[in-house]
This record gives sequence, C-alpha cells and structure tokens, in this order.
Amino acid sequence: MALYTSYSDKRILILDDIPEVRASLRNQVGSLGCENVSVSGTVKDALEQLRSKTFDVILCDFYLAGGTDGQQFLEFLRNRNIIGRGVLFVMITAEKSYEHVVTAAECLPDDYLLKPFTADALQLRLERLLEKKVRLAKVDQLQNKRNWPGVIAACDEIISARDRYLFDVMRIKGNALIQADRHDAAVAFYEEMLAIRPMPWARLGLARALHLQGDRDRCKTTLNQLIGESPRLMAAYDLLGHLHMEMGEADAAMAVLDSACVISPNSLARHRAIAAVAEEKGDFSRVEEALDKVIKKTRNSPLRETADFARLGNALTEMGAPARAVAMLEEVRTAFKEDAYNPQLAAVEALAQHKAGNPEKAAAALARALQSDSASLPEAVAMTLAKACLATGKADEGNAILKKLVQTNPDSKALHARITTVMGEHGEADMADKLVRDSIAEVIQLNNEAVRRAQAGELPQAAAMLAEAAQRLPGNLQIAANAAAALYYDILQNKMDGAKLRLAQGFQQIVEAKRPDHPKLTEIAELLNRIRRKYGQVK
Amino acid sequence: MNFDEVAAFTIHDVKNRLTVLAGRAEERGDSETLQGVLEAASTLTRLLVYYKAGAGRLAVNIDAHAPTDVITELCQEITRQTRLGIRAELGEAPTLWFYDESLVRMLLLDALYNALRHARQNVVLAARQVDDWLEFSVRDDGPGYPAELLGRQLAMQPLSREGTGLGLHLAGRIAAFHTNGGQEGHVELANEGGAVFRLRLPR
Repeated sequence: MALYTSYSDKRILILDDIPEVRASLRNQVGSLGCENVSVSGTVKDALEQLRSKTFDVILCDFYLAGGTDGQQFLEFLRNRNIIGRGVLFVMITAEKSYEHVVTAAECLPDDYLLKPFTADALQLRLERLLEKKVRLAKVDQLQNKRNWPGVIAACDEIISARDRYLFDVMRIKGNALIQADRHDAAVAFYEEMLAIRPMPWARLGLARALHLQGDRDRCKTTLNQLIGESPRLMAAYDLLGHLHMEMGEADAAMAVLDSACVISPNSLARHRAIAAVAEEKGDFSRVEEALDKVIKKTRNSPLRETADFARLGNALTEMGAPARAVAMLEEVRTAFKEDAYNPQLAAVEALAQHKAGNPEKAAAALARALQSDSASLPEAVAMTLAKACLATGKADEGNAILKKLVQTNPDSKALHARITTVMGEHGEADMADKLVRDSIAEVIQLNNEAVRRAQAGELPQAAAMLAEAAQRLPGNLQIAANAAAALYYDILQNKMDGAKLRLAQGFQQIVEAKRPDHPKLTEIAELLNRIRRKYGQVK
Repeated sequence: MNFDEVAAFTIHDVKNRLTVLAGRAEERGDSETLQGVLEAASTLTRLLVYYKAGAGRLAVNIDAHAPTDVITELCQEITRQTRLGIRAELGEAPTLWFYDESLVRMLLLDALYNALRHARQNVVLAARQVDDWLEFSVRDDGPGYPAELLGRQLAMQPLSREGTGLGLHLAGRIAAFHTNGGQEGHVELANEGGAVFRLRLPR
C-alpha cells in the first residue's frame, strides 16, 4: 500500500562510522529523491547537526566508533528530549539480536533494518514508517506535551478502528495510564493484554503498574516471570533492583543488577544503576568502580552526564578521600564550563572542600549551588544541597530547603526518614522530627486559615493565600487544587477577573496532568461550568 | 572475547563490505550480482541464528505484526534481483498476527532463494488466514521437492551428512518457537504443480 511519498522535502540524517558505508547509504537515500541529506561519522557531529536543525528521519548504525553504540545514542537523545516523538529513528544492524538489550520501551527505535538492504527495501520501509507517523501524529504531539489524559483519548480513537496500528497504540495507552497515575486502570489494561498474548512489554507494564499500586509481592513475581521469558529486557532488571532497594534488600538489588550486567556489559544505564544502589548501601568503593567505567566511556563523548561526576565526587568524599574528590570536581568545573553552576556538582564540591579543610572554597562552591531556585530542583539534588548547607554551617538555608521538600510532599514517609538521616549527621536528629512536624503543621494551618477566611466571607483573601502557597510549592497538589477552587469561588461570588481565572485554570491543569483522579477535580470542573453559565463563554 | 562476540564482529565487518558491494550493483542495475551478494549475506545471518539457537541464546521476540508487510517487502526486494515473475497474494491475509518478524523474514527469504533456484517462470508469495492459523507460503512452478521431504517437517529436522538442509532445519526450529494455546508453529512441504513451502503459525 505504498503512498509514493515525496522524499524531496524530507530531511534525513545518516550516522555511520565507516566512510564507504556512509557513502553507499547516501547514494541509496539520494536515489529515492531525497535532496536534504546530512551525513555524520561521529556522535559528536551528529549531535551538533541535530541541535542546529530539525530532521524527519535518522538512519543510525548500531556500531559507532568511540565506545558508543546506536542504542546509547538513542537513549541519550530521548532522555534529553533532543528529538521529538515525530522524528523517525531507524537502527541499522548487521545482526538482529541487539534489539532485545533495551532499557525501556520509550527508548526503542522506530524500526530495525538488517543490512545489507536495497534502496527499494529502504523506500518501502520508510513509506511504512512514515504512514504510521501520520496515523499517530496526534498521539505523538500529545505525548510530547505530556498531556496523558489527551493521549489516552487519542489512543482510544485509534483502538476503536482496530486497524494495523492497534498494538502500537495499545502500548502507548498503557504507558499513558501509568503516567496519568491511573494505576488500577493500568493493571486491568495490561492484564487484558496479557490474556491476548504474553507480550514482554505488557508484562513489564503490569509490573510497573503493580509497583505504583504498592503491590510489591505481585510486582516481584511478575518481574521474575518476565526475566525468565525475556532475559534481555533490561528494564525488568532495573525495576526489580529498584523494588529490592525499596524493601531494604540492597544485596538482592545488587545481585539483580550484576546479572543484568553479564547480559549487557556495555550498558551505561546498568553501571549507573549499580552506582546508585551501591551509594544507597554505603558501598562507596563499588560506586567508584561502577562510575569509573561510565566516565571512561563517556568522558570525551557528548554522552557525558554531569550527575556521574557529582555522584563520584560524593563517593570519594564519603570514602574519606575528599582531596581526590576536590581534584576531580575542580578539573570537571574547568574542563566543562557549562557545569560550573550546576547545583548538584557545586553542592558536592562544597561538601568535599569542607571535608578537605578548605572553608573558603567550600563557601564559594555553596554560593554557586544556591544560585538556582531550590523548588525547581529534583528531590535528590535539593537534598544534597541541604546537606552541603548544614555541613558548612548554613543551617537556616539548609532547613529552609528541607522545609520546602516536606511541604511539597507532606505524606512521604521515605522523605521524612531521609531528612532524619541527613540532619542526624549534623547531630540534629531530634530537630528533624520537629522540622517535619512544623513544616506539615504550617501547610495545614495555612489551609485551615484559608477555609476560615472563606467561611467568614473573605474569599479574595483566602484565594490569594492559597494561590501564593501553590506558586511557592508547585509540587503540592492539594494546595494547587484548593487554590483553583478558592479562586473560582471568588470569581463566582464577586466578579469576573481574567487574571484570577487564568491562574486558577493553570492550577487546575497541573492537578489534571499529575492526578486525573484527584477527588477535588469534579468540584473544580463544576465551578468552572458555573462561571461559564454566569458570565458567558470564557476562554 | 568469546566466539559469539568474534562472530558478531566478523559478520558485521563482512556485511559492511557486502553493503557497499550491493549498493554498487544496485546502482549499475546489475541484478545478478545484487542477488549473489544479498544471498551471501542471508547465509551469514542464518549461520549466526543457527549458532545462537544451538546455544539456547536466540532471543525470540513475538509481537503483533501485519503479515502483508513482510510479504510486500520480500516481493519488492526480490523483483529487482531476478527475471522470474514474482507475485504476492494477500487477499485473505489477516490485519495482524503474532510472530517474530525478523526471524520469519529470514526464514521466508531462505525459502524464496530456494524457489528462485528451481522455478521455471513464476514464484508466488502469499499470506492468508486458515481458521486459527496464519499460513505464509512460497510457491514455485519448478520440478517440486524430492518425495522424501514432503509433509509436515519436524521441529528439529535433522541435517544431512553433507550439511545441506540447514535452511529447513532452522525453519522447523523457528516455527516451533511460535506457540500459543497448546498449538505449535510448523513447516509443511508439498508439491502442487511445483514446490510449495508453507509456514503455519498459530493464532
């Protein structure tokens, strides 16, 4: 069913390290009528091209010079969002078995081409893939925007047609259910898929959904079964290792990751996961061993990750070798200018400098780390930053960061435990309880005060209080939901106010995206309907 | 480095050279050389699959695929390599079926090269649903298979002493990896006005 697509306007990037093969591929692509073809022999060059212009199709050989392979390159592109889901990524291999050593379904190429192949075969394959991209265009766009309820609806539309894309879309829908935090629906969905066929992606999806549901026993059984059926599916080992860690079984976690490494010794993701487990176990020499491998492979490659250096620096400091940590971190900071103000790297350096007995350099590093807004940092990075503050005597700053973490996620017992550990290292374990309690009390009190004011008829004041808190703590969904409701009530009771309406709709969208089943959403939607009825259609 | 890795690197290297050769032949319109090169490459693929299956390390990845895709691709690819008439019959093909696409492709390509060697004028590739089975077939108008080969093939079809029959042996094994609901995929050979190779996969 060839559509005889016009290739003249398609922008194609070819990445292969062998010049003759590159030239041959270029010829083949040229014979299809493509005029817009770029070629690269190295990952570095390909990345520069990808950053400077957009492509429709990437043809990438699995083997690449310089210690990198096509799969690592693709994972890097996807994890950094360098290419959108609308871009076709085709992996060219000499042998088909690579395809099963994959980290996650999201990092799979669109297709594999076994070489050698003819220009005709390439054309037919591209036709097929481009047709699919057209069919899934809406789903892809919504996925890029992370609009998961939208993705689910768009998938259902295609599913009802029961055409050849049925299972491609099923796969996307399962992931969207998980991303939208609809865990029960996801479990039921994957069980339905597995009743059709024991497909590895469905079994993995079921394990992910069970994990989020908190059913650890069934999750573990599912993963062990999956590893038995598909021993090359790396994501199964990753999740199982993670699960063991959560259950406090660090040795079991390490054993799982070690067995994954035997199957996929070149996977950077696996060595990084081993480093993370070893760090949690306090086995810092193992952290060093694992990260040395990663850094050796990536140091002079664009696939270098700043977090590897930060984690290694932390391990060296913990091992009682802060001088080595300082030397490494200072070197990274000068060699890679863009990392100088990286908050995680700077926080680790502050700790290392402090332990190495350089208080001034520690203060300077901490000042660099504190330049970014801690509310926007991932929890682990904010935690390192708090630790660095406490170690260098900046208790107020450290406590403020910890307080914000608690207030963003007041129900997380795991977070509270980590805070107790961190504060305990500075002899303030008993203060930790108080900090957690006070931080939570402050949020509750703010909510109560807002409710009291609302009941007293002071709706604008109540709405303003909640809106301020929601902006300060963007991750706290209860506050965001209450803020949206209060703003809508205020508008209904008093008068239409465009700025307030936009603010409220923003909070509503945050809650809808992160928790479509949030109990307050129905009330919020009804309020918006009442506003529409009262003031006419609003945008 | 173990044999597996050496084999993978070697095959990669040889296939790169074959890629360049195939590209040149295709550009010149030299279909005979093109077929020779691609057939040699498929022999290499078969070697590696045979080794891996023997070592119990063949990764079989069964997922939903459109049977029309693999047939259309093989037809288009082969048409350029031969003067024989190549035709696809897809009228009764199901929209989707469950199988490992690259293994099935390799297996059908082997059967196809075999048919090209024996056909007089025409080769027909087909995919159709027969009850709860998907049936891929490669049919030629040549003299047919020797009588002793006819019928349903064993999952572990023995290799002959001369080392021939590797394709058939592998086909039986790959078919048998496709199981569902107590049914097992298999290969059947028949003579119906020429040789007919059938790969039958359960729903």
